[in-house]
Amino acid sequence: MTLLADPDSETQRRPPAARRGRWVLRALTGQRAGLAVVVVVLIIVFGTLRPAFYDSRLVVFPLLRDIATLTVVGLAQLAVLSIGHMNLAVGRMAAFGALVSGFSYQVLGLNLVLGLVLGLVAGAAVGALAGLIITGTGVNSFVVTLGLDFALLGLVTLVYGQFTTLAAFTVKPPGMEELRSYSMADLCVGDVCGSPAVPQLLLFTVVALAGVGYLFARARTGREMLLTGSNATAAELSGIPTKRRVIGAHTLSGLLSGLAGFMLAVTAGSFTAGIGSAFLIPSFLGPVLGGTALTGGAVSVIGTFMGISLTQVIQQGLSMLGVGLESLNIYLGLILLVALSAVRIRQLFTRRRRSS
Amino acid sequence: MNTTRAVRVGLSALGIAALVVTAGCSTRGATGGGGGAPAAPAATSAAQVKVALVPGGAHPYFQPWKTAGDQAKTDLGLGGVTFDETGQWDQAKQNAALNSLAAQGYNAMGIFGVSPTDINSTFTDLKSKGITVASLGSCPAGDVDQASFCLSTEVQQAAEKAAQAAITAMGGQGVLVHLTGNNVDSNTQRRIAGVKQAIDATGGKVRLLTTITDIDTDLQTAQKAVSDLLSAQGGQINGIVSTAYNPAVAAAAAVKASKLPIKDVAIDDDPTILAGIRDGSVSATVAQNPAGQAYVGTWALTKLVTGACTVATPGVAIDSGSFVVDSKNVASYDTERQAKTKALLEQFQNTVLRCKAQ
Repeated sequence: MTLLADPDSETQRRPPAARRGRWVLRALTGQRAGLAVVVVVLIIVFGTLRPAFYDSRLVVFPLLRDIATLTVVGLAQLAVLSIGHMNLAVGRMAAFGALVSGFSYQVLGLNLVLGLVLGLVAGAAVGALAGLIITGTGVNSFVVTLGLDFALLGLVTLVYGQFTTLAAFTVKPPGMEELRSYSMADLCVGDVCGSPAVPQLLLFTVVALAGVGYLFARARTGREMLLTGSNATAAELSGIPTKRRVIGAHTLSGLLSGLAGFMLAVTAGSFTAGIGSAFLIPSFLGPVLGGTALTGGAVSVIGTFMGISLTQVIQQGLSMLGVGLESLNIYLGLILLVALSAVRIRQLFTRRRRSS
Repeated sequence: MNTTRAVRVGLSALGIAALVVTAGCSTRGATGGGGGAPAAPAATSAAQVKVALVPGGAHPYFQPWKTAGDQAKTDLGLGGVTFDETGQWDQAKQNAALNSLAAQGYNAMGIFGVSPTDINSTFTDLKSKGITVASLGSCPAGDVDQASFCLSTEVQQAAEKAAQAAITAMGGQGVLVHLTGNNVDSNTQRRIAGVKQAIDATGGKVRLLTTITDIDTDLQTAQKAVSDLLSAQGGQINGIVSTAYNPAVAAAAAVKASKLPIKDVAIDDDPTILAGIRDGSVSATVAQNPAGQAYVGTWALTKLVTGACTVATPGVAIDSGSFVVDSKNVASYDTERQAKTKALLEQFQNTVLRCKAQ
């Protein structure tokens, strides 16, 4: 859903039947539908060229596991994009959250859930700190999160160096290996089980998508965040506590970063300082491809999932086709350009047809 | 407005729910992870063996893997050998590349894991899918290796050798600097420990001025770090030991350009370093054996996949060799390295593997 600060003012003035028709049309012609079409077309093309692309164990399961983690990363960035800010420390916040979780397991001997909770709290606390600095000093989020990124890089490295000899927390609490490798086939109701191609780790992403989707679609706080991102001065004059909304958005970003760090550590097998080092570009790519505005005021939660899926499907497909390192990023860029141009052209044609 | 939005949220949730609870019955063993028992590799001919040599990412160190893999393919009559460096030094990306290769029918893999603390999980996954794996160039951190075997330079020992060569060149005393790679990599920690061992053995005659880490990302980063070091403290440094490729190349060029009386000991055999040894600006280097790792690794993997042999001690680590190269043996060290590769083949045949009588 692309959620705007005030998306439906015009729609509200129309009769209910016209509103429903307009929504259906928008759903079918919007950016998310376009992305979905492109993703499906690419899956068919790659699957036709390499039938092994549909291999549930070797391709689909790990692909969905990666999409699950990166979607949460995208949502972490989306949270601050909603208020027109950026979080350049999204990767280090993930590393910090994972550090606290790993510390909880290896040094404190806590169980899987408690370690996860502490990791999420740590991520949220760092996010809140970023928000407090931004609102307290008035310094741009770009600068504050960049500085925080460097500080966390040093801190995380220092802690791993102090507490481990391998620069990693390698203790796996009971349940971690299962979370990594189990699929929906291991969740059954009676005799009916889920698909072995869908990892259980994706459930975290579903919860995150539902939570963030609810926040921006239904909750007053989310609407106020979008209004703050759309026009902070107008929002302030309207009585919205913009500073609290800024802190809230950064706290949510930190919380989701911590979750993504935990998910990556579970997927990889240990908690290391390298967690999150490759998160920054996907964190922007997913939301922006999905329709989230870099300037704030408009977010697309499902679009983030679609955007991440698009890039991961392209990468996996090219890898299956044996595209070498030299060409991989060139083809990735070209396909993304063509795909997004196709979506845009389709939208323009639809708009013209409707207006005529 | 609220109804419309609720419908949108509901439809979106339904879409995701449909994805998650895709109908279909299966058992736990069918999951994608390592929960299932490893499939026993069926006996196959060499022509059915497809070997993937997978470094953590692009790096000059691994370039000999390509030619050695091709040579092994010809010599052993393999169905295919590929070299895939698309991991981009990210464990998640390397895992994706490995899964793609497995889906393409590669049934044996020689892997340099990006993250030594995570790679055992990857090995377990691949083994559960019936793929035979070996760690090449780097062993997993800790005491357990889930791969069939590890064929790698013993990094701590190689670093100690390099530091000893530097200390000898310094006349057994003075101030030494250590240049190395990613600080949060367990292999780097082993290298730091190796250098420390050599320094400790001098009984205080050699002092470690500093260990500069995280400068193996690219040559430019290493050049800047070495330039800053020589500008600020070049006058008090007697020796530099590098235990990573890019810092070694950068230090060789910078020491020569600065004309400071610093004894430089490098790692690997980049042409810049060998030229430095020939003209005397580099005291020595510690060459490794990447070609031997790829050739012997591919040979052993083939024996395992075809069922001709099994590993006597699964997860065993074998040193692929490291060679101190100085002005005396710079022209002939490669002969020594080739001899080591032949010795490794014999070692695998006689002790590492248990082979059926022909």
